[in-house]
Amino acid sequence: MASNAVVLFDESEMIRFRRMTVIWGITALVLLPILALLGYFMRLFQSGAFPQIRPEWFYAVLTLHSLGMVGTWFVGAMAGVSFLLLKYTRPSLAVSKFSFWGTLLGVVLLIVCTLGGLFGTGWYFLYPLPLMSQGVWQPWATLTFFIALAILGVCWTVWTLDILRSIAQRYSLRAALGLNYVFGEPGPEVPPLVLITTVSLIVGVAGFVAAVIVIALFAARALGVNVDPLLMKNLTFFFGHILVNITMYLGVAMVYELLPTYAGRPWKTNRVVAIAWDAVLFLILFAYFHHLYMDFAQPQWVQRFGQICSYGLAVPAGVVSIFGTLALVYAARMRWTLASTLLFLGIMGWGIGGIAAVIDSTVEVNSHFHNTLWVPAHFHTYYLMGVVLMILGFIDHAGKEISGLEENPRRSKLTVILLLIGGYGFLSMFFWAGAHSVPRRYAIYPLEVAQGTEYARIAVLFITVLLLGVLLYLWETGRRCLKALSA
Amino acid sequence: MIQMQAFYVFLGVAGLLAAVFVYTIASTRRARDLDYHTAYALRRKLLYVLLAVLVVGLGMTLAKTPYPRDKDIPEQVVFVVGKQFSFGISASPITNDDEYLAATYSTPVQVGAGSFVEFRVTSFDVNHGFSVYDPEGHLIAQTQAMPGYVNRLRLRLTQPGRYRVLCLELCGSGHHRMRGVFDVK
Amino acid sequence: MRRDSSVKPPRSRTMRPGLVVFVLALAALAQAQQSFGVPSNQPPNEDFYVYKQIPDVAIETGASTAMRLSKIWSEKPLLLTMVFTRCAGVCSAFLRSLRAAVLDAQGLGQDYRIVVLSFDPRDTTDDMEMVAESLGVKLDPNWIFAISSAAGIRQVAAASGFWFQWDPSAQQYDHPSLVEAIDHGRVVRMLAGTNVPRASLREVIQELRGRFVPSYALAGKVAFRCFEYDPNRDAYRLDWGLLFMLLPATSAVLAVVWAFFLHRESPPKPYDSSSALIR
Repeated sequence: MASNAVVLFDESEMIRFRRMTVIWGITALVLLPILALLGYFMRLFQSGAFPQIRPEWFYAVLTLHSLGMVGTWFVGAMAGVSFLLLKYTRPSLAVSKFSFWGTLLGVVLLIVCTLGGLFGTGWYFLYPLPLMSQGVWQPWATLTFFIALAILGVCWTVWTLDILRSIAQRYSLRAALGLNYVFGEPGPEVPPLVLITTVSLIVGVAGFVAAVIVIALFAARALGVNVDPLLMKNLTFFFGHILVNITMYLGVAMVYELLPTYAGRPWKTNRVVAIAWDAVLFLILFAYFHHLYMDFAQPQWVQRFGQICSYGLAVPAGVVSIFGTLALVYAARMRWTLASTLLFLGIMGWGIGGIAAVIDSTVEVNSHFHNTLWVPAHFHTYYLMGVVLMILGFIDHAGKEISGLEENPRRSKLTVILLLIGGYGFLSMFFWAGAHSVPRRYAIYPLEVAQGTEYARIAVLFITVLLLGVLLYLWETGRRCLKALSA
Repeated sequence: MIQMQAFYVFLGVAGLLAAVFVYTIASTRRARDLDYHTAYALRRKLLYVLLAVLVVGLGMTLAKTPYPRDKDIPEQVVFVVGKQFSFGISASPITNDDEYLAATYSTPVQVGAGSFVEFRVTSFDVNHGFSVYDPEGHLIAQTQAMPGYVNRLRLRLTQPGRYRVLCLELCGSGHHRMRGVFDVK
Repeated sequence: MRRDSSVKPPRSRTMRPGLVVFVLALAALAQAQQSFGVPSNQPPNEDFYVYKQIPDVAIETGASTAMRLSKIWSEKPLLLTMVFTRCAGVCSAFLRSLRAAVLDAQGLGQDYRIVVLSFDPRDTTDDMEMVAESLGVKLDPNWIFAISSAAGIRQVAAASGFWFQWDPSAQQYDHPSLVEAIDHGRVVRMLAGTNVPRASLREVIQELRGRFVPSYALAGKVAFRCFEYDPNRDAYRLDWGLLFMLLPATSAVLAVVWAFFLHRESPPKPYDSSSALIR
């Protein structure tokens, strides 16, 4: 052992860290079916299955499902990345535990205010809707909601800062951003995992601070200050866009780190990879403008700049990450397991969702797609068939590694087939409905868009298939994780 | 219809991507070493193709926005106020709740077929989405109804008939039943 | 809009009662003729008149005796304002602020011209020329000072929401002040108030040039915009909203400084892969 080198962890710390990761994994695997069933309920509601239930329930479930999923996959990605970073840095176990308990508390409060208080603003709680419910949810539900957000925000910001700190202990800023590669200078080897995580979490801090400001301004409004709704919209979408995108980037980072071991080939940072991810760091701050195209009050140059940045983001994703994944696997001595298959297919889903997103980020197209079902179509694609598959792949990988339990190849294959058919079938109904002008977030489809009800019925069939795949996955991987807990 | 065009473009590109992924999976049956040189050359080609597609796309679409620059003067102005849970649509300005209610319940505003009309859209409470559906049920244009701001949406509606307005921004429990209507004659 | 209250009405002791009644009736009749529209405390609301057609009335200027408004607006868009020359109130201040705003917005002559129309039937073209001279634009062909017939005045006033009321005690008209942008005979914008804010006129000229302004904020106290327009200083000032938008990225920079420069041990210790505990 070289005299300057540092041992990152001793055996017992490592075991405790692994345990924490498994606990995070189990948490995601518990939340997944619950939140998915909520989604199932929503599509069923839209298909007309529950005429006796008041639409307020749809909107409350919508809020819980969407916020729950955003949160679940964010913490899943963070847990995965911090586990994989153990090879290179020393994140804090205490912070991970702190985030865990805070996340649980936040989730409980969210369940209380939505299912208990009928809080139904949708996940991005657009100002001033939380304060104007027409009597559907009471002020206590609004307050509980914001307390939940504040708790989650604090925990996740602390966790983000800790991981950044841990990277900084081992890598200078220049190295962590891959600048040595960009300028062709000698320096330490920086794995893509570290580069992508650094970029994502720097941006993540900006996103969380925006959320803090939004919550503070909501408080100001509650005290009588008439806050500019355009400012609130900008801050809200800046935060939301970043949170969702960095979740996906952290998932992609896990693929960069894990897939090479299955392909038997390396995937290292080089000049192109570094340039790509540094470009992302800049572009992602401005792409959020594409959420405000239909707000004519935004300056026009801002709208156009948003389209340019949104289009621009396709380049690093397509040319570096997606192509890199394909080149890694092409004609490789690939070990196709459940984990590696999910990681690989997750990149495909991320790409397909991205294509739909870039199309919608065209201002002229957005006039016809904004807030139709095209929007949930694209984000369910790069979430459900994208980052969710990546995280499920990671959980299976970690569970297998820690528990040592082998998998049943036929069951794995069946799981993947069910997930793909159920998933893409469910998504196709969203895309088709969006192309046929069906609005999003409608509890009931009125006559003008009655076709929405028919599409929802078909989607329900596919969700059933999807849920079977999920159950099969949970049975397999869940058992592995439980075994890993006692390992 | 632009929606179907966009859908088919999506289907084409996504299908291509999926096909490449399937092809890659199949290729692992006959494993061999990766020729990095060829791979990097292919990547450079992909970069140029993708950049070309994006630049052409930007060139074709960046200038077309719903905030037009043409010098035509609208022949008619229609005032719209979104409020939980209906759109008040009127040929005269809506300045208070009484006028909003009157506009909500009055006979539909008439817009001349082929005339250039400007909708001035605002909200009295939360964000709503003023979204125009033609008589065939296609979404043809939209703008946000934001409190404190007036958005000006200019349209030339050639097809006569009854046009519906749906709300496309979640605004509460009545979001799905919020409507407006006007006629083009 | 308040008139000078030191002017007193004339009195005569030699008139006989019948004549008095006749004169009073005549005066009353004259007052009815000289007033138009419904007085209001609020300036006219642009929304009621936008895109409406202005009647193509006959006007008279110093240069020509018979012209129609359409001759002017068919060549270029125009800004129309209505004043009267014996105004001891707001008219001259309004005209001066209009001139200042026009100088600021530029484009006079290329993109638009200005018609200053008197609504007082007593005004002559000579009276209007004197107003032009006092404003310093007598020789500028793009400032057109005109009069019209009583009927013509009423038509234009009706189409603009303009009203005027004769106050015999002050011998003055009470009236609002406004300037409207007219393109091909249709009102496209209207600015009403005691003066012409430069930023507002700039926006109006933009629209006359064909650049569409897709949205505008409603008046009202709204906190934390990005830029707040200050009508007193006629300038935009940075508001808290802009600070709030910059704060997230700034915080991210601060977080990077904290993590990579302040907090960590320097220099970072190299990692020895031989001691790796995970594969």
